[in-house]
Amino acid sequence: MKPTRATYVVAGSLLVCLGIALVSLFVGSSGLTPQDAWREWHAGLALRDAPALSILVEQRLPRTLAALLAGAGLALAGCSFQALLRNPLATPYTLGVASSSALGAWSAFLMMDAHWVAGHVLGVPSVQLFAFLFAGVDVFLVYLVAVGKTRTAPSVLLLAGVTMGMLANSGILLTRYLARPDRLVMMDRWIMGGVDVIGYSPMSTLLIGGIPCVLLLLAQSAKFDQFSFGADLAEGRGINVRALQLITFLSASLLTAVIVSEVGPIGFVGLIVPHSVRAFTGARHRLLMPVCLPAGAAFLCFCDIVARAVMPGEIPVGIITTLIGGPFFIHLLIRRKFTDWES
Amino acid sequence: MISMLQAESVSFAYEKEQPVLRAVNATVPAGMLTGIVGPNGCGKSTLLRLLCGLLRPQSGRVLMDGAELSRLSGGARARRLAFLPQAVNPAFAMTVFEVVCLGRYPHAGPFGGLGPKDFEVARRCLRDTETEHLRARDFLSLSGGERQRVLLASILAQEPDVLLLDEPTSALDIHHEAEVFSLLRQLAAQGYGVGVVTHDLNAAAQFCGRILLLGASHVVVAAGAPEEVFREDALCAAYGAAIRVGRHPFVDAPFVDVLPQERPSS
Repeated sequence: MKPTRATYVVAGSLLVCLGIALVSLFVGSSGLTPQDAWREWHAGLALRDAPALSILVEQRLPRTLAALLAGAGLALAGCSFQALLRNPLATPYTLGVASSSALGAWSAFLMMDAHWVAGHVLGVPSVQLFAFLFAGVDVFLVYLVAVGKTRTAPSVLLLAGVTMGMLANSGILLTRYLARPDRLVMMDRWIMGGVDVIGYSPMSTLLIGGIPCVLLLLAQSAKFDQFSFGADLAEGRGINVRALQLITFLSASLLTAVIVSEVGPIGFVGLIVPHSVRAFTGARHRLLMPVCLPAGAAFLCFCDIVARAVMPGEIPVGIITTLIGGPFFIHLLIRRKFTDWES
Repeated sequence: MISMLQAESVSFAYEKEQPVLRAVNATVPAGMLTGIVGPNGCGKSTLLRLLCGLLRPQSGRVLMDGAELSRLSGGARARRLAFLPQAVNPAFAMTVFEVVCLGRYPHAGPFGGLGPKDFEVARRCLRDTETEHLRARDFLSLSGGERQRVLLASILAQEPDVLLLDEPTSALDIHHEAEVFSLLRQLAAQGYGVGVVTHDLNAAAQFCGRILLLGASHVVVAAGAPEEVFREDALCAAYGAAIRVGRHPFVDAPFVDVLPQERPSS
């Protein structure tokens, strides 16, 4: 069988993603080379006697994996929200998930002195837990306001979510106002986002929380194609639009909440990756959505490499995604590549 | 077997005490273009939604070949009935062929995979609507008339028995309107049941084999052949305006217009 364009796009995106991931393993402040790691591996050294290998296994690999998983998830969530809201400007954070997460995380920083908040709560780092729970509250409230017995107009969902996000933002300002100066640094660092995780426990959270959401969203892809021509047409084709909206809203929000609570509200990935991928795949979600996964993974991993390589200390990756993504997006807009949607 | 879509004494209200349809009977028989006309807000579009199963009547029932429509699954319904809503605008760009292939969704597998047969049907629908030459064009770059023909191809790709269209020509120039209506008449002649909601009484008079006239009071004022329905008493009752009926100058059909009303000058 002759390979189709779709095959090339999928294979290409996977290859790029793999290549960037490999590079990511060997970029950083410690000057680790593949040869060192290989020699230590070959010699069968234990991790504590093998400096290169232990950096690779305990820092670089988890960090690379976190970037890949978070990037993939954010891109897919962004693509799903754009389809759900029928709005090309939607991002994973449009309905307030990131703001609410940030409010949760900052509340945890604020209350760090209280012994029940310090460190871990229920075995989960309190910052992550609070970030996730607050995002959950946001999702629940938006659901209460916007999702009824029949299908929801995208604008209602949008208004409810944006309002909830603004409420969270004012809460953020309040926590900031109340916080001790030394906490402000932690807060600021958190909200910039970063994939500098250590160890593999974030990976298990990302995978356990993320995979069901990703599968559910991918399963809706053919329905999104119908929905992009409006709810009426989709219903005429036999789709239960309310169920589609509900599944998408919940799983895309949950996916976003899991990612943000682990790595912070890294911006722009969920906006520009789906748009850039659309230029290669067209707007059919059946191809667009799966390709968003490796593309988002590659983009965030690439940004993290830049974040590590560009100066001796690190730049938070959330700044890099915006620095790279913003101009790129404007470039695309200027070239009018985006006749993708109607005004 | 001749298929027939039928609404039996259906009533519907979006809000309590404000009925949009009151005990309306309607049929969309196979092999005929049925026009649903009436003044703004009379419930034409709601009737169409009830007929295609997007809404359920609060009383009465909708039957497809004698079986209740609400018992069919979404997919089974979409393989019998195709609905083209008013003013369809895609959120993202697609090519014409992709748009037509979307119509195969009710026949596709659970994840929307399409096979060679689906593409064959899609190509046939492009031919039937004379839009083959637009195949690779971006849908958003098409003119209004071309868009409607492509959307028609896309609902034909559902391989339905009945087509239901909500004001498919309301945004079109007169020649494109005539083009769409003659295409619809042609499809009806091929055996489809076609129901179309329209504002244009003269186009309905010219192209439809049957007319259902709804009145401002949300009931059926008249139903039957255009000659029977387009009579001054019925139209005046339905619209509550001074409507005159004559003969169309070029074709053998009634011609409808409103008497200009003199406003008292102050």
